[in-house]
Order: sequence, then C-alpha cells, then structure tokens
Amino acid sequence: MPRTNELTLLPKLPLLITESADEFDALRDAFEQEIKPRGIIEQIYVHDISAIVWEILRLRRCKVVIINLALRSALQSLLKQLLRQSGQYEYEVEDEAQTLAQSWFTVQEAKKQVSEILSRFDLDESAIEAEAIRRSSADLELLDRMLASLETRRNKALGCVAEYRASLAHQLRESADRIIDGKGVLRLEDAPSERSTAA
Amino acid sequence: MASERQIAANRRNARKSIGPRCGAGKKRASRNAYRHGLTLSVISTTAVAKQLDKLVRKIAGDSKDAMVLERARAIAQAELDLARVRRAKVALIERASAFGELDPPQLTVTQLIRILNAYDRGGRLIIPKPIDALATMPSQELDRSAEAIRRLLPELRKLERYERRAAARRDRAIFNR
Repeated sequence: MPRTNELTLLPKLPLLITESADEFDALRDAFEQEIKPRGIIEQIYVHDISAIVWEILRLRRCKVVIINLALRSALQSLLKQLLRQSGQYEYEVEDEAQTLAQSWFTVQEAKKQVSEILSRFDLDESAIEAEAIRRSSADLELLDRMLASLETRRNKALGCVAEYRASLAHQLRESADRIIDGKGVLRLEDAPSERSTAA
Repeated sequence: MASERQIAANRRNARKSIGPRCGAGKKRASRNAYRHGLTLSVISTTAVAKQLDKLVRKIAGDSKDAMVLERARAIAQAELDLARVRRAKVALIERASAFGELDPPQLTVTQLIRILNAYDRGGRLIIPKPIDALATMPSQELDRSAEAIRRLLPELRKLERYERRAAARRDRAIFNR
C-alpha cells in the first residue's frame, strides 16, 4: 500500500538489522485496512499500535530463543543428576554429561542415548525444556512483564482510537446542530409553537 | 547505621563544602543528574525542530487558536519523544549484539581489594583477564539479537517506562485531560 502523506510525517520505526522493513510495512498495512484511520491523530495511533505489536512479536521470538539457548546447559545439568550413581559426586559424571549434551544436538546416536537415560526415570525430552525454562525463569519473568505492559499499551491505544472517533462524532453532531440553529432552520420541537403563533 | 551525632557532624562538614573546585570536577558535577537524556525535551536537540513544526502544522490544520496549537505541539512532542526512545532501544540492542555487552569489563572493588591484599602479602600482582562477553554470544544473527535483548532486559524495562510516559502525555494532550 502506498504511504499516505500523514505517514511520511511520522517518525519511522527503527528496526533491528535482523528485522525486515517489508514485514513491518505489511503489519502496518494490515492494521490500516482493519482500522481505516482518518486524519493524522488516528494515523498516529495506528503507527503506535503497529510499533507495539512489532515489539511484542520481537519479544516473543526472543523468549523462544532464550529457552532454546538454555537447552544445552539444561540437558547437561539434567544428565549430571541422572547419570550420578549413589555415593558419586556430580563432578565425577560431569565430562560424560557435557559430551553427551553437546552431541545431543547433532548426533543421532547421542539423541537416542539421552532418550534411553531419560526413559529410565520415566522422563522424556520435555524434561529438558522444563529445565531450560527453570534456568531462564528470571529472564522470562522480566520478558513477560514487558510483554504484559506492551499488551496493555496496545489495548489502550486501540481504545483511544474508538474514544477519539466517538468524541469526533460528538463534536460533528454539535457543529451540525450549531449550523442548523445559526441558519434558523425550523427544528421539529419548535414546530407546534410556530404553528400556534401563526394561528 | 550512623548515629545522631555522626549524622549531625556529616551535615556540618557538608555545609563547609564549596563543591567541586577544578574545571573537570565542575564539569563532572554538572552531569550528576544526567543519566540518559531521555527526559530532555525533544526540541532541545534542535535537529528535529523542523520535523516537530511540520507535525504540529499537520495536527493543528489551519487553526490559529493558541490552545489548539499548544495541544498540537504537546502531541507532536510526545510522538517524537516516543520515536527517540524507540531509536535508543534499537541502538542499544544492536550495540550489545555487536559487542556482547554495553560497558567494557571492569574490575569490581572486591576483586581489586583481593588483588592488592595478595600483593601486600608479598605475592605477585596478578590481574585476572576480563571475561570476553562477545565470546559467549551465539553465532547466528537472530540468536545474537535475542541474547542481546536478554542481556539488556533491565535497561529495556527502564526505557519501556519512558515510552509509556510519552504515550500517556500524548493521550492526555489529544483528549485534553
């Protein structure tokens, strides 16, 4: 969709190197088609909503990556616990756990071996993800707070568009009434008294 | 905790102070309250003054009413403030993505005391090598950005508060609250 005059006046949303300007434009176009902004104020809100949603998507992606990046250390920690025999210290199985955790991502045999170890304790791969989430919980909590705050701001901005439209409609009605009053157009409620005066 | 007498003595001594004396000290003290400059009014940079005027004109339309112009100015200023915070956010993420951190590694006071104590006891002056934050960054671009965001979460939360305040200022101006 070609950019309207109002949009060129609004500051461009800065994007990360890894983000696509076309994808952001597509997102904003989708909001524009849905909200159909009229005037600069509504354009400002659509721009704001698009920017907030873009950041929500960015943080959600980040959340997934944080968990994925914690998988290796999570698996290592889990393996140390599972490989340790009674009377053994964790450091005694550390090397084995480290090697297995590293090769789990690329070597099929290691993947099978880890699955076997997990199944011995009635666990599956979701235990690795759970440990990764546990290890990243402080970061994930902060991210969640930021996401909640952004979602509140997005909802507020959407509410503001509706409120602005309602107040604009109210103003237009008042202006129309003033024009009608000013030009002496006969109002319905005045009609009977006009008639009685004439009689 | 300081006793009443100590507090009183501190206050007495502080009253005797005439503040920084040398040029460098005065310069440093002049920036005591400065942290990031995001609360500065947007026009103070002058570079965006033209953009601000254009936006004010667009919002106010043909109106010459001082009140309308004032509100339009408040809306435009808040909008440009929002843009500035968003630019700062992205710039910080890109920097952390490129260097692995924002500030270069520094010795903590505890580390420094430990090194000096060891030296006093007749040992050699061994300064530990700083941890290379970049070495612990993931190699893929997308993962790097995410890791940079993770490392910057406290800073990003602070910037988010500024963004929220700027948006609230804009809404107040639009609805004349």
